[in-house]
Amino acid sequence: MNATTDKTASTASQLSSGARLAGGAQQKLLAFASLIALVIGFSLASPNFFQVSNIMAILQATSVNGVLAVAATAVILTGGIDLSIGTLMTFCAVVAGVVLTWGGLPLPLGLLAAIGAGALVGLASGTFVARMKIPPFIATLGMMLVLKGLSLIITGAKPIYFNDTPGYTEISQGSLIGLVIPALPVPNGVLVLFLVALAMAFVLSRTVLGRYTYALGSNEEAVRLSGVNTNAWKMAVYALAGGICGIAGILISSRLNSAQPALGLGYELDAIAAVVIGGTSLAGGRGTVLGTLIGALIMSVLTNGLRILSVAPEWQTVVTGAIIILAVYADQLRRQRG
Amino acid sequence: MITRRMILGTLSAAALLASTGFSLAQDKMYIPLVSKGFQHQFWQAVKAGADKAAAEFGVEVTFEGPDNETMVDRQIDMLSAALAKKPAAIGFAALDSQAAIPLLKQAEAAKIPVIAFDSGVDSDIPAATAATDNKAAAALAAEKMAALIGDEGEVALVVHDQTSRTGVDRRDGFVEWIAANKPKIQIVAIEYGGGDHLKSTEITKTLLQAHPNLKGIFGSNEGSAIGVANGARESGKKVVIIGYDSGAAQKQAIRDGLMAGAITQNPVGIGYETVKAAVMAAKGEPIVPTIDTGFYFYDKSNIDSPEIAAVLYD
Amino acid sequence: MRDLVNMERIEKRFPGVHALKGVGFDLRAGEVHALMGENGAGKSTLMKILSGVYQPDSGRILVEGREVMFGSPRAAQDHGIGIIHQELALMKDLTVAQNIFIGREPRLSFGRIDEARQNREARELFAALNIDIDPRRPVDGLSIARQQMVEIAKALSARSKVLIMDEPTAALTDGEIGELFAMIEKLKSEGVGIVYISHKMDEIKRISDRVTVMRDGEYVGTVEAQDTPISRIIEMMVGRALSDEAVVVPDLTRAETALEVIDLNRGREIRTVSFSLRKGEILGFAGLMGAGRTEVARAIFGADPRESGDILVRGHKADIRSPADAVKAGIGYLSEDRKHFGLALGMNVADNIALASLPAFANGVGRLDDGRMHRVARDFIARLGIRTPSEHQEVRLLSGGNQQKVVIAKWLLRDCDILIFDEPTRGIDIGAKSEIYRLLADLAADGKAIIVISSELPEVLRVSHRIAVMCEGQLTGFLPGGADTTQEQIMQLATDRSGLRQATRQEETA
Repeated sequence: MNATTDKTASTASQLSSGARLAGGAQQKLLAFASLIALVIGFSLASPNFFQVSNIMAILQATSVNGVLAVAATAVILTGGIDLSIGTLMTFCAVVAGVVLTWGGLPLPLGLLAAIGAGALVGLASGTFVARMKIPPFIATLGMMLVLKGLSLIITGAKPIYFNDTPGYTEISQGSLIGLVIPALPVPNGVLVLFLVALAMAFVLSRTVLGRYTYALGSNEEAVRLSGVNTNAWKMAVYALAGGICGIAGILISSRLNSAQPALGLGYELDAIAAVVIGGTSLAGGRGTVLGTLIGALIMSVLTNGLRILSVAPEWQTVVTGAIIILAVYADQLRRQRG
Repeated sequence: MITRRMILGTLSAAALLASTGFSLAQDKMYIPLVSKGFQHQFWQAVKAGADKAAAEFGVEVTFEGPDNETMVDRQIDMLSAALAKKPAAIGFAALDSQAAIPLLKQAEAAKIPVIAFDSGVDSDIPAATAATDNKAAAALAAEKMAALIGDEGEVALVVHDQTSRTGVDRRDGFVEWIAANKPKIQIVAIEYGGGDHLKSTEITKTLLQAHPNLKGIFGSNEGSAIGVANGARESGKKVVIIGYDSGAAQKQAIRDGLMAGAITQNPVGIGYETVKAAVMAAKGEPIVPTIDTGFYFYDKSNIDSPEIAAVLYD
Repeated sequence: MRDLVNMERIEKRFPGVHALKGVGFDLRAGEVHALMGENGAGKSTLMKILSGVYQPDSGRILVEGREVMFGSPRAAQDHGIGIIHQELALMKDLTVAQNIFIGREPRLSFGRIDEARQNREARELFAALNIDIDPRRPVDGLSIARQQMVEIAKALSARSKVLIMDEPTAALTDGEIGELFAMIEKLKSEGVGIVYISHKMDEIKRISDRVTVMRDGEYVGTVEAQDTPISRIIEMMVGRALSDEAVVVPDLTRAETALEVIDLNRGREIRTVSFSLRKGEILGFAGLMGAGRTEVARAIFGADPRESGDILVRGHKADIRSPADAVKAGIGYLSEDRKHFGLALGMNVADNIALASLPAFANGVGRLDDGRMHRVARDFIARLGIRTPSEHQEVRLLSGGNQQKVVIAKWLLRDCDILIFDEPTRGIDIGAKSEIYRLLADLAADGKAIIVISSELPEVLRVSHRIAVMCEGQLTGFLPGGADTTQEQIMQLATDRSGLRQATRQEETA
């Protein structure tokens, strides 16, 4: 290859990488800009929207869905999907209830049990997907139903209350930040969401597990042929996601002061929607936790704002659905151009 | 090979189950109850009443219902499976009575008496209906609400479902009574939370945000009512809450004064009366076509009275 | 001869790339016109414009003298222009005839498809082409060559006057190539104009009438195929003359044995294959397509199971059941299909180099030292001469040769001293090829043991210190490397089925 071709080739690739980078930044800017635009729009439309109490309510409403979406992000990045996250959340809440209310054991044990149960179930799903080669959609669809049934069986279809565990409701409803800065009563649930998101962002961008998560979604066979035990790593990702569902289970049960065994179905779709709005590709390999967080916020700002504007409930769902389609279409457009 | 064995195994297990069901049907009078749900405490209480009657009259009762109150199709499947077992009589709480009419006609042709429960069926096929008059019950809730907020101001509704009979009746019962009797009370919002505790909580918080002058909220079933109470507590705003049904959390909210009061139906009575009427109809005895199982308003003052405590459940 | 197609001053820009700079091209009826150039020269873009996949920014296209605008591939088809893509685009669960007539199915009333007529017409097409394929069988299970025939029949069934073939022989055996060329001759005689894109010089000489060369999106020139020496065409492609160095076979009699494979077996694909490899040696694996070379490599690497046989690494038996085991034993495998099996295309150069060694860059809790990773990546970029703006570049944006170097870096970093290269220069420009050859020689000089699988005999002869030849799953013989070995000697072994017959007899008597 002579000098001229070299130069042209590298300039061309530099140029195109520059364009792509700008595209990536654009997408994140786009999502963030739409979030800001929604907030501004709703603030102008109703004086009741932009108030500390309402912003806190929006953040609080994001906490459960946000944590689930963070869990879903990891699995989706591997090119998989986890449909069981909603009912797994409920199952973990029930486990916490069994340990704390029925077993009368101390609070930390209950929390550990919920997270541990989540991780174990995630590991099981991961085993079905990685070792037994059951397509993720099917494996986790089955798991979703199994867990739903188990929650009802364990509880006898009755909620378990946390009245005997003092401080349980504080986990999501109290405000540590509010104690320090009274003007900013951020509920603990929101704090948990941001801590979980931060931790996941660290895992995904700075650790071996994270790098393999992206690599699996990018080209699983190439990773396997690099001598990596792909099955083990994939199982680890599902287990991690499961553990995070355990945290979501603690949050929702703390919020409701009870483990409601009939809840959970449908929560997985909200979480996946948030992930997708946040720009993560369902094919895997591309996406960020920050995007997911923005996606989850867009969803709750939208629901909250439309309700404040007294938009009819039927239309609220229509608008939310349209936004999901629009968000993914915008992402497609960007990718075609880049 | 393994798959074939598994299929054979499944088939034989199914056959075994079917034959057991059949033999039971021969031994005792068999009455399936197809309900609107089974997961909520309310339905568990209805089931308890049905079981009580079953023991009393020496009949076999099964109780099933779909996961939530929008699954009309699932319920129709259950009804048709129940009919296929040729029961002595059937208890049916229709999610959508129009959708069930073809099956009810089948039952009529097969001379299987049908007892409607919980809500009526728009048809003359059911031999009797054991139900709460939901519209009247919701009207009572509206009346109590009006009294508590001083006959004027803004109120909102968090309803569990937009299409089911109970959802529609409780909403309309409340709204119509207010419209007819209290012109100074405005209903500023009607939202639907699917009976989901968390969703109803978020809805309530948003309602309180959107309507700072809101004086009262009516939650139309157990999940909605608990959600309303939660949302009000989290927002820290004073608002009059009227709930519906009972359950441990709702009872606690009433004792704590967070909730002003609630309508309770008589779920145990609904279950009991349904089975009782079914047995009589199967034996060809005459029965009253409309069995009003009654409803009550309860609050802190009467929650522990024997009359109320008997119909409340945890 | 009349002109079928005239393309004049075609311009095309993509974001950041000026892909075509005023390119012209013409095609006559009844000729094979080869279009040559390195990867990225603009051949495919030009042909995608001719077949309606892309629209030009400016310039004119004339078909039989009339100016046309193709808004879609369908429009080009309607003007008699068919293209056979490098990646075959058949639906494998449909039958051959259904594939040929997809989108243009003969109809009966009420929208029913006339399957009988469809099958009959497909059979007539095949008869005209002298091919024997049952139109009613599913495409799944047909060899690549046969699938290509189906593609050609599909293009012809749309009454194509112009047929564009993009690297049609990339996956074909010599016999199949012969079959294809016979078909091309037949089409020529019927007045079809064929645009033939290929990297293989000998093919160009064999079948084409004219050669047009492109470089960097520009038209370089058109020459008569028969009167122009290959070296001249290569010069036009790379812009300079290439020197052809011969292989220097080192004396390895004292080198220790790095890898020994004893009696490797799996069904009909691998039959009792045994060989050994010394440190510093490059062992070439020659053979026809389907001879079992890739299968042997994948079995050694643990990517596919083996039925029996032992693998000894530096004299010790290695229990290899998965690629992870093989890598632990120091064996690296560079697949022929880098994009599917070698690289995480959406990730950057540094990540891909570290892909097999990530845990080595992590501390106790699994946190990655990205700084060290990027330093190491920069070292490899310098050492192997990987042309990339930085280690942050996504590998999908690199050229084939540089992608191959990234994969090599991955295995070097993992400390693999036995490297198996499967078709190391497939899809790589001529200019970059000799660079890869030099790299192979350097690696061997460093003491790595190297296996090179290649279907191109000149390549095998160019790099190998020793040559193993396979035929239908068996090792039929070894040849010394160096200038004295000829392509004919290799071909003889590659088609030597005597050992096979013997083996079959043994199976029968056993």
